[in-house]
Amino acid sequence: MRLLMVGLNHKTADVASREAVAMDAGQAGALLRRLRERYAAAEAVLISTCNRTELYVARPVHAEPDAEGVRRLLAEQSGVAYEKLAATTMHREQEQAALHLFHVCAGLDSMVLGEPQVQGQVRRAYELAQDQGTVGPVLHRLFQGAVAAGKQARSETGIDAGRTSVSSVAVAFARNIFDHFNDKTIAVIGAGEMIKGAAHALLRERPGRLWIVNRSPQRATDLAQRLAGQVEGDTQIAPRPWADLDALLIEADIVVSCTGANEPVVRVDRFKPLLKPRRNRPLFLIDMAVPRDIDPAIGAMNNVYLYNLDDLQQAVGVTTDDRHAQRDRCEHLLNAACARCMGEIRHRDLGALVKQLRTRLNTIADEEQQRTQRKLAAQGVANDRHDAVIREHNHRLINKILHLPLSQLDRTDPDAPLGFYAAALRRLFDLEDEPTLPVSTDNPHDAPPPAGSSTL
Amino acid sequence: MTDAATSIPLILMTALSAGASLIAIRPLRPETQSKAGSGSSAIQHLFVGAVALGSITVLIVRWLGLRQSWSPVESHVDGLLLMCALFAGAVLFIQRRPKLRGLAAFALPLLTLMLLWAVCASLWTYRPFNLASIASAWLVFHTVSTYIGLLSCAIGAIGGAMYLYMQRRLKTKQALPGRLASLETLETLIIRTATLGFVLLTLSLLSGVILITRNDTPDATPLGADWWLSPKVILATLAWAVYALLMNVRHATAFRGRRAAWLAIAGLVLVIATYGVVEAIEKREAAADSTAVRVFNSRCLDRAPGCHTTARRAAVCERTWTAVALAHSKPAYGPVVWHPKWSPPSTGRAGKGVTSCAS
Repeated sequence: MRLLMVGLNHKTADVASREAVAMDAGQAGALLRRLRERYAAAEAVLISTCNRTELYVARPVHAEPDAEGVRRLLAEQSGVAYEKLAATTMHREQEQAALHLFHVCAGLDSMVLGEPQVQGQVRRAYELAQDQGTVGPVLHRLFQGAVAAGKQARSETGIDAGRTSVSSVAVAFARNIFDHFNDKTIAVIGAGEMIKGAAHALLRERPGRLWIVNRSPQRATDLAQRLAGQVEGDTQIAPRPWADLDALLIEADIVVSCTGANEPVVRVDRFKPLLKPRRNRPLFLIDMAVPRDIDPAIGAMNNVYLYNLDDLQQAVGVTTDDRHAQRDRCEHLLNAACARCMGEIRHRDLGALVKQLRTRLNTIADEEQQRTQRKLAAQGVANDRHDAVIREHNHRLINKILHLPLSQLDRTDPDAPLGFYAAALRRLFDLEDEPTLPVSTDNPHDAPPPAGSSTL
Repeated sequence: MTDAATSIPLILMTALSAGASLIAIRPLRPETQSKAGSGSSAIQHLFVGAVALGSITVLIVRWLGLRQSWSPVESHVDGLLLMCALFAGAVLFIQRRPKLRGLAAFALPLLTLMLLWAVCASLWTYRPFNLASIASAWLVFHTVSTYIGLLSCAIGAIGGAMYLYMQRRLKTKQALPGRLASLETLETLIIRTATLGFVLLTLSLLSGVILITRNDTPDATPLGADWWLSPKVILATLAWAVYALLMNVRHATAFRGRRAAWLAIAGLVLVIATYGVVEAIEKREAAADSTAVRVFNSRCLDRAPGCHTTARRAAVCERTWTAVALAHSKPAYGPVVWHPKWSPPSTGRAGKGVTSCAS
């Protein structure tokens, strides 16, 4: 079995490229169906969040798709040119791919170390793939292992303790500026996932009012309704028209902005005249957008505190010097868990291979037995007793020959080069890797779920 | 009584306060982690409590030992001790308030400085108050309102210092060690202490003016004839104006934020400078008069056996020129009885000093 990961994240691509490739649940389902149609033997899970889009594929060794095939598939589904995608995506194979997934799941690969949301996102991606019938025993084992290891790493190393997500870091800063929030007004610009997370974190402080402005009013209304349904306390939540932005900048005490705009939304020449009507009240600006929504020069003004994503991350890094130690411990733990998980997948793989090898040898033995029987019959000495003796002889011979190599394979030696053995067996005996998914079904929805994969 | 009974406890308390300051400042330094152990904070509480109790105890011991009048505040050291006790009490309160977390780190160094000042005042610049005027209710009123006002100003100033620290950390986007006193809390603190400081400074100024103008011969006031142009009055008025502005800073929005914090610090500096100016002026006069006073004093002690009624009183007499004034013009007050045969002080300077003091 070959494991393959192709994708892009905040380390390899800028926000525009990430946004172009990002997929919602519907698009992700379509991509998985397309992959299933084209490469029937491959298992696949697509993780798509605002920071990453990564496709994990497990396929038989000599089968399609390879990294290029997966890239083409991503390009077709997202509508991004293949060349552009090739420049921004990275690809990992086998252990590297598995370890990457473990790191992602534990939050080690996140913008904010140990942030907890990604765990749920990975789980949802897995469930979506399961619904599409693209999860087989390999990815099932891998994702189960990754989610469990992520949970263990968080609880054992405390890497997610305290202010782990960007939003909660922002709230921690807000608490050092404002004493209480019940008379404060929060304005959010944008209506995306980041805004939703920040609004959730800020609503926990029970502010007086929360206004939402967005270029498309419908999304602002939707977000307002969703937040209003979840909020405790008597915070006023309402969408406001885009034209009200200046009035909001005067009224607000905290502004969170995360729009997809390429130009700054709040420029200096727009903001400066607002300082006077604000009567110099302190203003906390959080710019979560990349590229920036708020001109950095505004941060130098009196009583204005402007933080962008980098600042918030840096703040997390500064507060936690021992995060490095935690990170090391976490990596150590994940390495071990990943090696265990890959070992199990290999063992399962190798078991199938040995079974195949036995079948192959038994087939040869059967053919040879028939030839011997034909020869004996020609000499007139054949009878039923001879058949049984020959069969027993063959059986013993195969067992004797296979005993030593198989005992080497069975040994639970962590250093045993099982991959090498498997490759050698395949090459020496010309064995084919078997697909782990049932191939024949026309409709993947009818495919029976792999054993034990119903829950994580 | 500038002896070991005052100085040694003061030095000890200064050391305790310095230790508490170090413990309080450590978690606020940028390179340290927010691991303020409960052990060290308990030690900090203990130290500050010891300083508060110690100051009060020394003050009471001095009062009982020196008892010259009903007032326990007989000299500048007593005043400082009272302030240290009140301030240490305020720090204890600050430490217990989660909303004011971190403020103790700014208050404790100031407490240490105040204790150091008290050490100086006790060891080198010991000077009892004008005993003749202690009888005046106005002077007591003046002193008390000034001391409590100064305390209020001091808390406002440490609020301002912490505001500047927090503002700097927030502007440079360094993560803060947990939840400290927020900018909003500090601004409220500055405004409230400024309001209290303003009220008390107003009372202090008014009573001060009454004290000065009450005299029939304005020529003889400690601040001179044109007292309303003297540096002390000008500085006091300036400080008063600063606090008038500061208490309205939410309306006078141009001064909000960093400027208000600086103003709170400037206010305290002005109040201290006001005090320092009068110290310097009186010191100069006192130095000029000291020779003549000593002559006069010795004559007084030689000729009037009544002077020796109490040894303690005599000791005070020797050191202070105010006691001379007491003996000179207020025969009904105190145990020193004036003999009509005594000639007035021989030098003009001493005479002037005596007159002014007797008022």
